[in-house]
Amino acid sequence: MHEPLYKTAFPKAEVKHQATQAVSTVLQPRFASGNPPEFVNNSGEKFLDFGALVNDGQLQDLTELWDAPSVDDPSKKVRDTIIPGVVEQGMFSTADGQRKPFVLYYVSTVYGIWYSGKLFKDNGWTAPTNFEQFKALCEQIKTKGITPYGYAGANAAYYQWNVILSQAAKIGGPDVLKNIDNLEDGAWKQDAVKQAAEAWAEIGAKYSDKSFEGLKHTDVQLRQNQGKVAFYPSGDWLENEQKKDTPAGFTYQLMPVPSLTASDKLPATAIRAAGGEGYFVSSKSKNPRGGMEYMRQMLSKAGARGFTETVGAATVVPAGSEGFQFPPGVASAQAALKAAGKDVFNMLFDNWYKELDTEARTATNELMFGRINADAFVERVQKRADAIKKDSSVIKFKR
Amino acid sequence: MRHGKYPFVIGFLFAPVALYVTFVIWPYAQAFQISMTNWRGLSAPQWVGFDNYRRLLDDGAFWKAVQHHGVLLLALPLITIAIALFFSFLLNVGGRSSGGQRQGVWGAKFYRVVFFFPQVLAVAIIAVLFQMVYRPNESGLINGVLMKFGLEPILFLIKPNLALWSILAVLVWQAVGFYVVLFSAGMASIPGEIYEAAEMDGATKVTLFFRVTLPLLWDTLQVAWVYLGIAAFDCFAIVAVLSVDGGGPDGATTVLAMEIYRNAFVYSKYGYASAMGVALFFLTLTFAALTLRLTKRESVEY
Amino acid sequence: MNPQSTLPPPAALPPKTGDPSAPAGPGRKDPRSEVRLFAGLGHVALAVWAVIVIVPILWTVLAAFKNTSEIFSSPWTLPAELRWENFSRAWTKANVGRYFLNSVIVVSCSTFLTMLLGSMAAYVLARYRFWGNRAIYYLFVSGLAFPVFLALVPLFFVVKNLGLLDTHTGVVLVYTAYSLPFTVFFLAAFFKTLPSSVAEAGMIDGCSHSRLFFQVMMPMAKPGLISVAIFNIIGQWAQYQLPLVLLSNAKDKWVLTQGIADISVNAGYEADWSGLFAALTIAILPMIIVYAVFQRQIQAGLTSGAVK
Repeated sequence: MHEPLYKTAFPKAEVKHQATQAVSTVLQPRFASGNPPEFVNNSGEKFLDFGALVNDGQLQDLTELWDAPSVDDPSKKVRDTIIPGVVEQGMFSTADGQRKPFVLYYVSTVYGIWYSGKLFKDNGWTAPTNFEQFKALCEQIKTKGITPYGYAGANAAYYQWNVILSQAAKIGGPDVLKNIDNLEDGAWKQDAVKQAAEAWAEIGAKYSDKSFEGLKHTDVQLRQNQGKVAFYPSGDWLENEQKKDTPAGFTYQLMPVPSLTASDKLPATAIRAAGGEGYFVSSKSKNPRGGMEYMRQMLSKAGARGFTETVGAATVVPAGSEGFQFPPGVASAQAALKAAGKDVFNMLFDNWYKELDTEARTATNELMFGRINADAFVERVQKRADAIKKDSSVIKFKR
Repeated sequence: MRHGKYPFVIGFLFAPVALYVTFVIWPYAQAFQISMTNWRGLSAPQWVGFDNYRRLLDDGAFWKAVQHHGVLLLALPLITIAIALFFSFLLNVGGRSSGGQRQGVWGAKFYRVVFFFPQVLAVAIIAVLFQMVYRPNESGLINGVLMKFGLEPILFLIKPNLALWSILAVLVWQAVGFYVVLFSAGMASIPGEIYEAAEMDGATKVTLFFRVTLPLLWDTLQVAWVYLGIAAFDCFAIVAVLSVDGGGPDGATTVLAMEIYRNAFVYSKYGYASAMGVALFFLTLTFAALTLRLTKRESVEY
Repeated sequence: MNPQSTLPPPAALPPKTGDPSAPAGPGRKDPRSEVRLFAGLGHVALAVWAVIVIVPILWTVLAAFKNTSEIFSSPWTLPAELRWENFSRAWTKANVGRYFLNSVIVVSCSTFLTMLLGSMAAYVLARYRFWGNRAIYYLFVSGLAFPVFLALVPLFFVVKNLGLLDTHTGVVLVYTAYSLPFTVFFLAAFFKTLPSSVAEAGMIDGCSHSRLFFQVMMPMAKPGLISVAIFNIIGQWAQYQLPLVLLSNAKDKWVLTQGIADISVNAGYEADWSGLFAALTIAILPMIIVYAVFQRQIQAGLTSGAVK
């Protein structure tokens, strides 16, 4: 959608913009051949391994972009017009150990657990803030013949490890996740992770449906829209994704993962938030500067506003969201983000180490559908983390 | 066949061999070379010798995949051939015999046409189809019926010990029609007098099948075995599209092709993926060599 | 495994039931009831399998007329109305028509080339003795054992360096190359079975080697050629991995499997299941109609080719 803006600014320039869901399948050969597209939205189900791309010098250093003057106010740098932490999130260490910004995470993303405001209002339920309330509510929901909680095992198990690790962060503080990202020894075996895994394994066993392991995320999401599932974990893109299938009055609402106990390090309002949708410019493409200029247009107020208006999601450019009437779901996510204040955490290991992401997904399904317990869960993911740490062909990242 | 033999031979072989070497042999040879490197698909590869192969030995997913190929290699041909033989016998010899003229059962022609349908469909499409057939809740084709009758749904692709068999069933579903036609053709070429003589001797249908049809069809059965064996070593499209989480749950349906794909296109570990490919190659080669050895025999003349 | 040892001479089949010398009469099992029972059970089995084959396909066609909620909530009911817009969405938005045509173009060219080159090589390898014959034969046959995607990345470079990336020519050549092992393997076996007397007579008449091939052997081998061509058409029609890599940047050149897969992948995000089913139907029905019309030829081709 930003192409018109870019075209207005640079009528003769041509930027190859690749939009596809199966990014790695389609693009891998092009990177290998030295003919990559300028501008890539590297997200979706099969995204390219950022680590490998950085390691191979395929990504354009975006320092120039961040220091360039903003489109709207030339006295400001682009980096000062966006949500803090986003530049940092897109920084990777190169092979020679330098940390540089390579990736623009464009969409403001808040993660949590979704429910239908209408369903809850009709039944007089309120969003739980701690686990006791959560489990009690799940019992009530169950008696209504509704599946209390569910995620799609077939392709969206990462929505669930996100919940487990968010829980762990609340129990033990954001450093729990930092240790995991940094591949610290025994990071997955931290008490907080184990407790979180135990708590959620119980939810999986008592309040979910075994058949969800075989469903794709769209299937489970549709079931939530049909009122058959009460809670569903995902990011705040969900409302827009489901627009077509959401019945009128459904009113998506997002809540943070409930606190496990009163002794949790972070408050109940703490939430995971980050930039989502990683865009990058290929340094070996024909026109990397064109790609960066395209990004600068995206980060203008008009660009961000256009994006927000088209997809109904907030970007990392606050100016673009100002005064925008968000739909109820995104509005509730923005409200939750505001309520969290400084208690915002994030994790990056899945972008850094695809293998670890895969293992965490598999282990999460094993845990949530009752084939292994929490001890075995942390054991096996730790084992893979150790193997990655030892593998010299894998570039390591730190934060 | 003496005059001008070599110019002719070379002339006829040049184009096919050139094409084949360029697009098949050469890339494969490179794949062998890549298997000795830590190439991540982008920058220049570094030589690591047999490191990748050593790592294979400790890779649980790899061994799971090998094990699944073993199961598929036995089960796919056995089940498919058994069903196809049964049907083709019914279709060709199962009906009334009038004056030694063998006849198939009523509607044989219709069945032969219908059974072949899945063969003309691409595997990718069939996999999408069976996603719906196997769906684990009331919206699935099978479980929809079960649940209407108040039964528990069958978790076809989710139960670790059922998933591989569910995938195998799809492979059989697709293959049977082809082999029915193949075996029918074989049976049609068995002279009617043999059946006539056997029936005059009072042989039952069962006897006919085991004493006449089966032995005379041996050649065709071996062809079938080779095809199905090769199919059992592939299975990528079906596993990739149909299984939970790409070969899951927890690797319960994974095959080598899936692991190669994952390592190459998800982890960008081209070197390691190629080492797996080489291992797969040697497995297939062993199968092919064994089969060729076993099939190298005189054919039955009649 | 030698059937000669298990096959008794036809005339001396051991009598299993009744007395072979006695004509049908009392005291002997009535062959008619045996036939009836067998045929009855057989009918049930055949009918069940036919249902197993037809129902998923029929269901796809029905689902193509439903909307997403109907697909997921009531798989066993008929669509409330015939939603042709699903088809128009698949046809125009998802370009299924275009992909279909591309598949037809690519597969017809590559099958023709495969058959021409494959039969030439197979013929020479089957009927001429020369140094290196076995080596070349096994070079071809070994291709049967290679997993295709192992070669994908190196293959990509080969095609790119030849300037054939994102062209149908490149795909046709690659399809042909990857079809050769199978084609050569079976045609060589087939050519071996042709009587050498005809060939020798031709040579004595002063026929050149290539005339002998095109005018005598090819017509004689027609049944085998047809059956292998059918195998190739089916195999190349279903190909997915190769075009995915070789045509990644030219969406207007995509083949049908790619198109369907693309809709299928996107359905994961947009949940346009009815569009996917409509696209599936567009992909499935013509194949089945073509097969139903030509099934006699297709089966006849398979008959003479693959058995021997």
